Amino acid sequence: MPTTLVEGLKERISTSISMYESLGVVLPGTNYTDLIQAIFACIRERSKDTWVYVTVTRPFESFLRLFGDLSNYPNVTFVDCISRASGIVRRDDQCIYIESPTMLEKVMMEVMNLFSKAPEGAEKFLILDSLSTLMIYNDPSLVTEFFYQLLNKTRSENIHSISLVVEEGEGDKYINKLIYLNDKILKVRDTFI
Amino acid sequence: MARDKCVTGIKELDIQMDGGIPVGSTVLIVGSSGSGKTTLCMQFLVNGAKMGEKGVFFTITEPLFKLMANLEKFEFFDKSLVDNGMITIIDLRIIFERMGLDVEKYTVEDASALLDVIKDIAKELDAKRLVIDSITALCYRLQNREMIRDFIFKLGTFLAAMECTTFLTSEVPPREFKFSQYGIEEFISDGIIFLGDIERGGDLIRTLQIVKMRGVNHSRAKYAMSITSRGIELAPLLKVV
Repeated sequence: MPTTLVEGLKERISTSISMYESLGVVLPGTNYTDLIQAIFACIRERSKDTWVYVTVTRPFESFLRLFGDLSNYPNVTFVDCISRASGIVRRDDQCIYIESPTMLEKVMMEVMNLFSKAPEGAEKFLILDSLSTLMIYNDPSLVTEFFYQLLNKTRSENIHSISLVVEEGEGDKYINKLIYLNDKILKVRDTFI
Repeated sequence: MARDKCVTGIKELDIQMDGGIPVGSTVLIVGSSGSGKTTLCMQFLVNGAKMGEKGVFFTITEPLFKLMANLEKFEFFDKSLVDNGMITIIDLRIIFERMGLDVEKYTVEDASALLDVIKDIAKELDAKRLVIDSITALCYRLQNREMIRDFIFKLGTFLAAMECTTFLTSEVPPREFKFSQYGIEEFISDGIIFLGDIERGGDLIRTLQIVKMRGVNHSRAKYAMSITSRGIELAPLLKVV
């Protein structure tokens, strides 16, 4: 059952991505699952559009457990950056595995390749989950450069992006700088609704 | 007048070379073992064949059955191009044997005879793209630097006149920014494409860099390279701190 928080998040995200090219979502770790559910509700609602979900936070398997076999979400393909590095080996038509979260250029190549196959007329949406986890595996300046490149690329290819930042304690100065590169920022708080 | 371009069909690589390699160039594809030299060369041939340009692949380092088995894993590869003669793959070691050239070192006459055979095959097939994989293994049998220079120079000149663009693979040790084993191949070649890697967080990121390409205002930036089932793909390399 979707909660009020999930419904509210979904509405905010849905409205924001219709209006802006790039959306940054900052949220506390405790609301992570709510946000994922809200994003998947958007994916389901926009079933004719093409979605690519880059996960650095959770392995693809964990999304399968959360949403079943993803048969209700045929329009999303995952780019899983952490399973291989964690020794998890599986194959799935809806997921592309990257050897390591340090291979940022490869992430970019796979993302752009997936969007190149989008049906004509379909809108394109990229979810980056998350900037904060990328910072764990990579030098912050490398993530900064990657994010600049990603935003430039997605903007030039008319791809909407949603970048997540999971806050833990005081905000990281690199992340705070990065997230403001987006056209719109959504900050999820306890008092959000 | 600008020379016509030979399009490799690898989009980002062609962009870096302002559209492609000048037709008739001899390009050294440099890299250590497993760096993607053979894949790059084969993609170059296959893409050419799909555009109607015949290609020949001379292998010295890998038996044909292994080469074919590896190629069949790639989506870009189309076996019918081999079956219908658009691409011819030849094991040079078989030619060596047939010519009685299965000796450790070649004389000037041996080298000249081998050169003639390669030229004849290219001419007979009307090849517009040719690969020797690897020139290092071939040069190993030539006795000195003069013979190596002479062999590559004559081969390159002949193929250029045929408007055939040639890739010669050059094997170098890992992590060394050198272009050839004998220090001569790079000076006779019109172009050098270097396949290397960089380490990031303990992982190796493949890289590609165009070091030299005569007649082209080419990029000298290092690119990240990926070998997937789709073949070789490139993206700008994020700068290492």
